[in-house]
Amino acid sequence: MKNTLCLIKVFLQVNLQMSLAYRADTVINLLLNLMWLGWELLSLSIIFSNTKTLGGWGVGELITLLGVFRLVNTLMAALLWPATEKFNASVRDGSMDYTLLQPANSLFLVTFARITVWRIWDLVLAVILVVAGTFMSGAGTSPLSLLYFVVLTLSGVLIIYSLWVVLIALTFWFTKFDNNVTILAALLDAGRYPSTVYPAWLRIIVTFVVPIALATTVPVQALRGELGGQQVLIFLAVSAASLLVASQVWKYGIRQYSGASS
Amino acid sequence: MPQSAAITVEKLSKTYQVSEREGGFSAAVRSFFKRTYRDVRAVDTVSFQIEPSEVVGFLGPNGAGKTTTLKMLSGLLHPTGGQARVLGYTPWELKREYLSSMTLVMGQRNRLSWDIPAADSFLLNQAIYRLPDADFKRTLAELDELLDLKEIIKKPVRNLSLGERMKCELAAGLLHRPKVLFLDEPTIGLDITAQVRIREFLKEYNRRSGATILLTSHYMADVTALCERVIIIHQGKLKYDGGLNDLARKIAPFKLIGVRLGDSAAHDLSRYGKPAQADEESEMSFIEVRADQVTLVTARLLADLPVHDITITDPPIESVIEQAFNG
Repeated sequence: MKNTLCLIKVFLQVNLQMSLAYRADTVINLLLNLMWLGWELLSLSIIFSNTKTLGGWGVGELITLLGVFRLVNTLMAALLWPATEKFNASVRDGSMDYTLLQPANSLFLVTFARITVWRIWDLVLAVILVVAGTFMSGAGTSPLSLLYFVVLTLSGVLIIYSLWVVLIALTFWFTKFDNNVTILAALLDAGRYPSTVYPAWLRIIVTFVVPIALATTVPVQALRGELGGQQVLIFLAVSAASLLVASQVWKYGIRQYSGASS
Repeated sequence: MPQSAAITVEKLSKTYQVSEREGGFSAAVRSFFKRTYRDVRAVDTVSFQIEPSEVVGFLGPNGAGKTTTLKMLSGLLHPTGGQARVLGYTPWELKREYLSSMTLVMGQRNRLSWDIPAADSFLLNQAIYRLPDADFKRTLAELDELLDLKEIIKKPVRNLSLGERMKCELAAGLLHRPKVLFLDEPTIGLDITAQVRIREFLKEYNRRSGATILLTSHYMADVTALCERVIIIHQGKLKYDGGLNDLARKIAPFKLIGVRLGDSAAHDLSRYGKPAQADEESEMSFIEVRADQVTLVTARLLADLPVHDITITDPPIESVIEQAFNG
């Protein structure tokens, strides 16, 4: 555990140095992000100037949801998309060989290979949105539902992460599969609004096929007091199971890679 | 207790399935729907042993199975048959203890991150290999002394010359003080000075650390400078395992003499030696001449013919091996 944390620290350091090397890029990205946040809040305020609730959700709850959505989005943008890019390139050019020969968990190395460090700022914004939204929706948030909220956000993120692992592991079989995470990226945006506002077919997709809703809508539902302890446990079990499945698929993928590459 | 071998390879085999098709559009469409596969035996029941701190050259023409063997020994590939033990481990089990005590350096692949200085990548390696600070610094100082790294590891890798980059790649592969080194074409593409530098480094590194080294190279000079023993494989099969001196005597007791003649008349060079491949670009014609006859033949050539330019070289490794085992 201590070693893992130490590794993450060094990864962060190295990536921070990388970001600092590209100053203009970092500054522009920070500004762009603020602009996006403004746009998102504006569109929420437009919606609520016409209606009091959206799918039964008030403005405070939607701001919380926006916060959670941005949290998930940030983890994707800061960690998984850059890792995907690096991973796809390394399978093609063979530098994956070096990753596999290092005495550390290869999935860990692949996940943390590239971190877009300035996204930390987004994380802070996201947390501010969650806190502000929770205060705005006011009473009814018990400490227990707060705990559920945190646990469900984490398990939702783990489920999406597992899906990502499976998707990129497919590259081991196909060698050239640059679109491996396209479906994940395309549906990610659906997490911006509560899944209850979507038509049934889309709701099924974002809950079961590409479970964005599990990391966005569901935690906020817990915050609204809609979910019981039993359901929270089920979500936890599902996330543990999906992580297990994903790491097995990864292992088979590596075996496949070892069997086929020359 | 007798010291056991560092590397033991027993009847190691690797068969690939490659999809193949003929050229052309319709063949491409057909193969999209129905692939035909062919088995390629890249490595075929190869056996050898390497003792601790030996430096062995691993030779063979392109596609002979060298890289495949190195990849199996480093643990990247599972063999389709046979056994291998390196430092007592079965490589493809990828045990952490094993990975921490070996290194694979491939001249044509990058381990280092392109955008940051090598020094930063080294820190990452330190964390991954869990090297204590003191050890890490000592090793780095030693590598710096041998490779003169101080300045180049501060620059982003993408700004380095090929030679400088290779120095950094080697250093990155050696920070954890591996006991076994697998080097695949470590000098490929480098200019002569850089080649010599890398060669001297490997020699000195081996002397100091007692590490076992198995290396492939297309440059005969690499092999003659570093290895007393060579293993040759051809089409996946082991063809020779023994001293380098014997190899030269047995297989390549000749040199290549190349001449560019001043007139366009067709001269018959076969009177002087066995004609070899001509080089169109430099308009050089080559003949093979036994090593002990080189001075004699050169003198005759110069006396008999209007020679504008003359070179004497070792035959390329590829052709030596090709000739010895095919011809």
